[in-house]
Amino acid sequence: MSKGFASNYRIVVLASLVLLSFTGLGARLVWLHVIDRQELLDTVEKARRQIIIQHARRGDILDARDNLLATSRSLIDLGVDPQLLRKEDEKKWPQLATLTGLSLADLEKILNTRSRPPGAIAAPKSPAGEPPLFDFDFAKSQEDAKKTEEGTAVDEDADDDTVVGDPDTNGERPVQWAKLSDEISESTYASIMKLGIRGIYGNRVYRRVYPHNELAAHVIGYVNRAEEPVTGIENFADLYLHGQNGWVESEKDGHQVELAQFRTRDVPAADGYSVVLSIDAVVQHIAEAELETIVDKYRPRKATIIVSNPRTGFILALANTPTFNLNEYNRLPPGEQFRLRNIAVADMYEPGSVFKIVAASGALNDAIVTPETAFDCSLENVLVNGTPRNLPREFEGEHFDAPLSVADILARSSNKGAAQIGVLLGARRFYDYVRAFGFGQTTGFPVGGEISGSLQPPEKWDGLTITRMPIGQSIGVTPLQMHQAMCVIANGGVLLRPQIIWKIRDASGEAIYNLGPAKVRRVISEQTARTMTHLLERVLTDPDGTAFKEWNPGIAGCDFAGKTGTAQKWEAVTLPSGRTVERVMPHANVASFIGFFPADNPQVAISVIVDHADESLVGGTASGAKVAVPSFKHIAEQLITYLPSLEIQPGIGAASPPVIAMEGGPR
Amino acid sequence: MKTSAAHGIVNQVLVYTLVGIGLSSSIGVGAVWMREQISLTANANKALEARIADLTRRCEETTTAIAQEQDATVLLQRNTLWGIGLLPPQEGQVQRVTEDPTVRMEAKRNSGMYRDTAAAATVSFRVAAQP
Repeated sequence: MSKGFASNYRIVVLASLVLLSFTGLGARLVWLHVIDRQELLDTVEKARRQIIIQHARRGDILDARDNLLATSRSLIDLGVDPQLLRKEDEKKWPQLATLTGLSLADLEKILNTRSRPPGAIAAPKSPAGEPPLFDFDFAKSQEDAKKTEEGTAVDEDADDDTVVGDPDTNGERPVQWAKLSDEISESTYASIMKLGIRGIYGNRVYRRVYPHNELAAHVIGYVNRAEEPVTGIENFADLYLHGQNGWVESEKDGHQVELAQFRTRDVPAADGYSVVLSIDAVVQHIAEAELETIVDKYRPRKATIIVSNPRTGFILALANTPTFNLNEYNRLPPGEQFRLRNIAVADMYEPGSVFKIVAASGALNDAIVTPETAFDCSLENVLVNGTPRNLPREFEGEHFDAPLSVADILARSSNKGAAQIGVLLGARRFYDYVRAFGFGQTTGFPVGGEISGSLQPPEKWDGLTITRMPIGQSIGVTPLQMHQAMCVIANGGVLLRPQIIWKIRDASGEAIYNLGPAKVRRVISEQTARTMTHLLERVLTDPDGTAFKEWNPGIAGCDFAGKTGTAQKWEAVTLPSGRTVERVMPHANVASFIGFFPADNPQVAISVIVDHADESLVGGTASGAKVAVPSFKHIAEQLITYLPSLEIQPGIGAASPPVIAMEGGPR
Repeated sequence: MKTSAAHGIVNQVLVYTLVGIGLSSSIGVGAVWMREQISLTANANKALEARIADLTRRCEETTTAIAQEQDATVLLQRNTLWGIGLLPPQEGQVQRVTEDPTVRMEAKRNSGMYRDTAAAATVSFRVAAQP
């Protein structure tokens, strides 16, 4: 029998070759799986692994009736890669121009710019317009940070919106991405995608939108294009609003498409909480419309209206003029940056006669005087610690020959009378009341860069201060401080912290945090507050009251209380000697009226403060009675109709709020 | 027999091998099918997530548009532009009801109902003289 192929030599050679092959194969496997393992795994990881960030949606800001004041919506940064454009798509360009809102000429210019000459672009930028990871331009960074702190808006549209690649042989850089529009809505983007133009694509971004534009601009604040909160509630409540980004660890295929089956970790994004404000959009609109009327009528430099519930301290409206549009904050010219300032808390003024409520309340509370206690208001000076001190002149040269009671002093706003009450109270005690009413310290209002005003302790007072501060001079207050002081009288003698945030809600709408009234301290007794309320009613109802003429006929079915104020303004003047002194500005006043209603059960307090109204338009001195009282009345009339919980008929119990039924009237 | 015993072993080995191959194939096919199903489900979930996200975005867009249209300034402009003539209510047009409104509404409804009934229905009686 022949052995054939199966000779020992051949079998050994074959077996050796097979063994060698397997050994080589094994060695290679060991090499790949053990020696080169980490390097190869890294390469695979880089090629296939990906982490997708899931952006959390910023929470909404709502008013007390759930109207949206600030919200986030997705918009598309639409751009083009001119290198990918096809000739056959050019007939679709007119439709693209219509959808993007660009003129056809502008669109063609962008689409036909395929490269940039050398030096035209300093450095490439990421396609999504995101800032680079490291910015070594420290000088620019510091400048931007400073601008942000000061609340100044940076023109973010001024950036070049083009991304270029590496230079070619001619030194020209090919354009890889050029922005067409950064405000494309979802529906418009869907229409653009239907056109099927190659090279057109967008990056989806969440952008902050303020549906009511200027409404409550100084309270809401804004978020800049980099999603950084800058001012207002946006900044203060950012902890609640901003949410937490999620991420997905996954793998992708060769076409950069995610392979969902290889997701190893999926951490969902936690959307931000919603912040519900105590602001009522309708009340805010009423206040802002009234400010517009004031601006049209009197052309003041600035004005503020504050509306609040004195029993809870919640602000219903806080409006300033000048103001700005939240959606266009970055378009304010450099000279108009002052519009960003929340003057209700960041500016101070001499309050004038409204401040008489402090001296009168203090003296009544300490039982030093009664409403009937009379003062000789014809005196020119009084003794203060044994030294005669001049009393201030009466407003517009008025003269009171007969002694005035405390009630008359408030109703007729006698400067000499109020100064004497202050002197009677004593510097230290008066100062204590001024502090107790909340002056010389911040109220705790969370937004707007609140200042504490200007109040010196008695040790630093000159001889005249005790006669001037009771009439609202020699002190600087913010409009909100003065408003809160009036609320002390309205709510029975308690200083409350003004509040603007009412609730915090999670993404499902569940309230996770409710805020209530925050008592700071009791300032005066309830009895004193009631007495003061009755005295302040006379400002409007007494025929000699400072606001009687402008107020009457009043508003039927409701009693009101309040106080007028007309304060001189001061300006710094440089003398020929080079010394700078402060002097009264001629024909310049801060006119104010701060009041509340219903007087027997106050539920709304309103402050109207108008700075430097044009006297030629007012027709005389721009006093609180002439400028501020009509606005107060107009706002009150509208609020009485609007706020159904208001009990405007005296004597109605607080337990059952009345229901308003419209009977329907003529158009 | 020797031959038969050898054949028996070979046959058994062949059967076991075939069964093993069949089992392995089934497990392999099952695993592939399972992975395919996992992939399909994952992709379907991903598509659904994308759809939900898209719908949420469109809802937000619509909500924002509604809020912008409900702005008081816009409404006033529309009122003027379309000549609707709506005015804010004046105090004189408002009837303030201080008692329970349901009692008043019930009384109003009942009085109207009885009045209407009395006016609409005519009741006649035939009166016959007793013999």
